[in-house]
Amino acid sequence: MGSGTQAGAVKVALGRRYRFAASHRLHNPSLSEAENYRIYGKCNNPYGHGHNYVVEVVVSGEPDPATGMIANLTELDGFVEREVLEPFDHKSLNEDVEAFRNKVPTTEILCMEIFWRLKAFPMAKLERVRVQETSNNSFEYAGDREEGLER
Amino acid sequence: MVLLTRKIEFAASHRYNNPALSPDENRRIFGKCNNPHGHGHNYTLEVTVAGDPDPVTGMVLDLKDLKEILDREVMQRMDHRFLNYEVPELAGQIPTCENIARVIWNLLDPQIKQGKLHRVRLYETPDLFADCYRNGAEGARTQWARGHKPVR
Repeated sequence: MGSGTQAGAVKVALGRRYRFAASHRLHNPSLSEAENYRIYGKCNNPYGHGHNYVVEVVVSGEPDPATGMIANLTELDGFVEREVLEPFDHKSLNEDVEAFRNKVPTTEILCMEIFWRLKAFPMAKLERVRVQETSNNSFEYAGDREEGLER
Repeated sequence: MVLLTRKIEFAASHRYNNPALSPDENRRIFGKCNNPHGHGHNYTLEVTVAGDPDPVTGMVLDLKDLKEILDREVMQRMDHRFLNYEVPELAGQIPTCENIARVIWNLLDPQIKQGKLHRVRLYETPDLFADCYRNGAEGARTQWARGHKPVR
């Protein structure tokens, strides 16, 4: 029916952007106060500060012929909401998120944490996660602990 | 290798409806995208071509040529059109961002003679896009799959 395109000749991926606001403080307790300040500068200020984070999630797969979709957006949105937005939005990453209790919540580490949370999405293959901390800084992670994902 | 990207915008309407499914199922799967008279978007298309700059011209390909290809293959076909009814390449497919991007890839790929088509990115909204890359393998035609489990 109709002049369909050749599935498989091209790889198709779907990208979706989400937003959350959170605070963090960059501080490594195993370093001295002076060293922390030297390394992290104002990001080490004692009470933390916040960002409006943008998370770009890219999943790939063959669009379902019945729906034309790689993944139903309602399901992807629900999964991201549950795994990332609900636990992170309007929170202190240092204080409120268990995963950052022993890690400095730089956006590199945050990006990796989000990637591994979303890797479990059952409906499509997670390709990569990009986290924008400000309009000038962004970080991208595509996994490096699994076959085929090394970068 | 250098990547060159050109961006264009077009406005079009579409509707998500699979005639092989019941009205209730269509409504459940596609939500408001199933509204009977369709709706529209301002699409942004980014086309990336990969190649080595020509030693004489310094160009991967002439941007004027790329602009003409995009105008002929995409703008004239899709701009200010109802994608379901007016774009034959999409007939028999749900005009999702994924499927439109793939149709655009298949239209552009044979037209790019200098350099090689590297990526097609189609934004349906600033927060939603589909990417197409070359996969190498040839596959089956996309068509309605009666009884196909629609939501995975």
